[in-house]
Amino acid sequence: MTVLENILLAGLVICAAAAPLCKRLLATVIVYLAFSVILAVLWSILQSPDLAITEAAVGTGISGILFFLTLKKIRALKGTQDE
Amino acid sequence: MSDGKEKSRWRRFAEWVNGDSVARDPTTQYVMDRRPARARAPQELHEERERLRLKKFLGLYPLAASVLCLTLIAILFATVLCIPPFGQPGNPTNNEVSRHYLEYTEEETGATNAVTGMILSYRGFDTLGESCVLFLAVSSVMMLLQRDGNNTDEQTLLRLRREDAIERTHPDNILRKSAKLLSPFILLFSLYVLFNGETSPGGGFSGGAVLGGGLILYSAAYGPEQLSRLLTRRLYDGVRIAGLMAYALTYGIYIFAGANGITVEMEWMMTVIDLAVGLVVACTIYGFYTMFQRGKL
Amino acid sequence: MLEAISQNRFAVVAVILFGIGLLNIMLQQNLLKKVVGFSIMDSAVFLLLASLGYIEGHGAPIVEEGSANASLYINPIPSGLVLTGIVVSVSVTAFSLALIQRIYRHYGTIELRELLERAKKEED
Repeated sequence: MTVLENILLAGLVICAAAAPLCKRLLATVIVYLAFSVILAVLWSILQSPDLAITEAAVGTGISGILFFLTLKKIRALKGTQDE
Repeated sequence: MSDGKEKSRWRRFAEWVNGDSVARDPTTQYVMDRRPARARAPQELHEERERLRLKKFLGLYPLAASVLCLTLIAILFATVLCIPPFGQPGNPTNNEVSRHYLEYTEEETGATNAVTGMILSYRGFDTLGESCVLFLAVSSVMMLLQRDGNNTDEQTLLRLRREDAIERTHPDNILRKSAKLLSPFILLFSLYVLFNGETSPGGGFSGGAVLGGGLILYSAAYGPEQLSRLLTRRLYDGVRIAGLMAYALTYGIYIFAGANGITVEMEWMMTVIDLAVGLVVACTIYGFYTMFQRGKL
Repeated sequence: MLEAISQNRFAVVAVILFGIGLLNIMLQQNLLKKVVGFSIMDSAVFLLLASLGYIEGHGAPIVEEGSANASLYINPIPSGLVLTGIVVSVSVTAFSLALIQRIYRHYGTIELRELLERAKKEED
């Protein structure tokens, strides 16, 4: 279990360091969603199932939807313009 | 007569809250229109000076910010290496409070999930405050993003209506078929997680979040008008307000009865509070989605 | 020191994430990346809090029937605090994103330098 924890913690740091360094905003949001998913698995390993369900539903799902909607409104997604 | 006076008092209060949009007398209007005269250099020299100042600020700022951040991280690092080791049962955080919660939560609250029993009855004020934060968040997002006839110009309203019509005539087939298959299960699962918060992992927050997610999926697949027919603006506001007030009332009765030794039959309290919290969270999440997507509920 | 780090690995990683988030908030030029950095800071604090409640070898705090023995479960209190925190964190993120949308609607950009220039030009 320690090996899994160490790998997940390293993945967490890598995702957090890489998210704001992406050139495109879409890539930033997707790496941030990966960060949330790894965090949800970590909550499971720390024996807190309530946190895991809530983080997976809210942190990944809802936060991701809101980020994508904002990206659409600020015209940062190529190929979805209605003009 | 008294009705006229009441109306004018309310109207005065409303106008005081909203503020003056036009000045009340000509002098104020003149001052509002006219900018104060500033002694300034000719236009190019002024712009040059402004640009230089901005450049100096933007050059010095990253250096100072990095130094501050690295100092803070170093201090935190040195602190965190001195805390008690991770996962030992003798840590100072595992004291008699957690022992009491674990041992007595079954008989004092009727919940076998210690976390749910703790946040809904032992530490219920925290959850009440957090429901208030959710309520406030949806209200502020509504204030920021709502577009109705009062604050948008004609052109934008027409463009929004055109975009709505385009979306209605080009439904996304993959989304629609998969939503038709998945939405009933998601809604059923969310109700299960909500009502089973006391005996298994879950509870108000998780169940409400999944419920909100299910509503978002349905609204994205079938168009928001279909859901607005069921979930009108009045029903939405009513559910939010009623949920928060039901929580406050029930928890107030519980604490009051417990502090004064009055025994009240309170087996159903946890279920009511769970339901209230879940509905408030679901309405919050759905409200965020529609405000971001369309600008109206 | 390496042994101290490996004994407290969750707290050390939480501090590193906090530092990354803080650097992003202060140094990024794009408003959306600042919001992502803020959210990373929030998650770092939750990681630190929840790791304080873990006890080696004990299970999740769902009390079984009749065996209300406190030495079989982890500490439930930090878990409850973090549960509230996660939902508040998503509310703050949603509010910041709404603010970003309004800023874009008014100024047409979300890069900080151009934003400052346009705001200064509007003020003059």
